[in-house]
This record gives sequence, structure tokens and C-alpha cells, in this order.
Amino acid sequence: MHHHEISQPDYGTGKKKLGIYVVGLICCSILTLIAFGMVMANMFPRWAVFTVIYSAACMQFLVQLFCFLRLNTQTKQGKINVMSILFTGVILLFIVAGSLWIMWNLNYNMM
Amino acid sequence: MQSDVIAVNEHHSDNDTTDVFGFWLYIMTDCILFACLFATFIVLNLPGAPGPDLKNYLNLSDVLIETFLLLFSNFTFCLAVLNLYQDKFAKVQAWLAISFLLGASFVFIEVSEFIHLANEGFRWDLSGKASSFFTLVGTHGLHVSCGLLWILLMIMQLFLLKDTNAIKRRMTYLGLFWNFLDIVWIFVFTIVYLVGAI
Repeated sequence: MHHHEISQPDYGTGKKKLGIYVVGLICCSILTLIAFGMVMANMFPRWAVFTVIYSAACMQFLVQLFCFLRLNTQTKQGKINVMSILFTGVILLFIVAGSLWIMWNLNYNMM
Repeated sequence: MQSDVIAVNEHHSDNDTTDVFGFWLYIMTDCILFACLFATFIVLNLPGAPGPDLKNYLNLSDVLIETFLLLFSNFTFCLAVLNLYQDKFAKVQAWLAISFLLGASFVFIEVSEFIHLANEGFRWDLSGKASSFFTLVGTHGLHVSCGLLWILLMIMQLFLLKDTNAIKRRMTYLGLFWNFLDIVWIFVFTIVYLVGAI
């Protein structure tokens, strides 16, 4: 299959190979089924369900980044893409964690 | 002369890379939009928030089907990109059409779910919980609908455009967008549906 690898400009999105997409599809399917199974089975303690579904979501997020978005640090453009997603991650952390923190405190102080 | 042509091509390719990076930055700002909606949803759904719970109206198996439709749509789009780089344009169009059908089924199920929820009494104007639910899931659904329109336009462009470089660049934009929507959906089904159903 080596001749199917792409040697054209990839805009920092990585090489396109069928194998990696199939791996991504299988991993995402398994993680999705585990997450839904834990909730639909309705027989596990709450903390266990929360732990499993949040870990499954994070793992699926990483699988999608590597297998479908093909994020990589092989090229200069790839490095810039990774840096910008990390920076976005910091902003998202401020927005979500900050909002929750403020609203939680407000709720506490207004009671 | 030869070196001039190469220089022009390299310049062109550099510009394309910058354009794609610009689109990538747009996707990053879209992440911020969704983060705000997620933060709103979580705040309005903290324990003790007024209004009925979503889980009384929820059908998780529909959400599971939606998840797989979007995942497979994403995968078939990747197959379209693979064929694009082997210059098999008819196959690209076929895979794009399949991606479109899978994505359209996703939107169809989501809209029927919204109609079902509204008929059962879980309307968007009922409570903060319901408003934040419809805003977050609806914004994602709207993005997917735009993506569907874009896929249709891409299929037509593949008939009309002869400039392979432009097609590859546009397919890269669309691929980033479509993949991004699947990634957002991971968090939607986890935070909204699965946590809501526990």
C-alpha cells in the first residue's frame, strides 16, 4: 500500500492512509458503545459511570485528533496547528472552569 | 524558466497553507462558541436547578444511532479525501453523497427528537434547563445542516471545477469542519445526554 501514501502538500493535516482511519473508526465505536452501555445498563454506581463516560469521551477526543484530524508535529505547519489548539484549550478552560467557579460561588453566597 | 515555474508553485502552495491555517483558526474560535454554550448548559443544569429533568423525556437509543451516523459520516468523508488524493473524482462524489445521506439522517433524527420533546411538554421556553439544552444541541445541529449544504456544493464543484489544487484545498476546509462537528458531538452526547440520563 506504500504507493497509496500521499506526497502532495497536506496543509499540516498529515498523511492520508486508510489504515489509520479504520483504526480510528473501530476505537471510536468501541468507546461510544462502552459509554452508552454503562449508562443504559443502569446497574453501576454513579461515580463509576461518571468516571467511565468522561474517560471514554476524553479518549475518543484524542483518537479523533490523531486518527481523523491527523494532528502531528512532523511539519512546521503541524506544530503551529498543535500550538493553536493548545492555546484554544487554555481559553476553553478559563471559560468553562471560570464560569462554573463564579456561578458556584454566587450560588453559595446568595443562599 | 523552469525555476520560475517552481517558485510560483511554491508560493501558491504556501498561500494555500496559510489559507487552511486561517480556516483552522476559525474552527478554534467556533470551539470557544461551543465552550460558552457548554458552560451555560452546565451552570443552568447544576443540581437543584428548577424545571423538569431531560431524562424523563429521553430516548438514549436514538442518541446512540445519531452518534454512529455522525461517526460513519466522518469516516466516509475521510474515504472521499483518500480517493481525492488518488484523483478518482467519481468515487469522491459517491463517498461524499454517502456522507451527506448519513449526516442528513442525523439531522432528521435530531429534528424528530426536538418535535417529540416539544410535544411531550419539554419546550425551549419551559425553563433555563430546556433553553440551554435546545440552544446547545440546536447550534450543533445548525452547524451540521450548514455542513450538509456545503457537501452538496462540494459535489457540484467536483463536476464543474477543473482546478485540482482548488478542489483539494476546499475539501481540506470541509474535512476540518465536518470532523470538528463530530468532535463537538462527543462532548454533547457525553455531557448533555449521558450525564442527563444518569
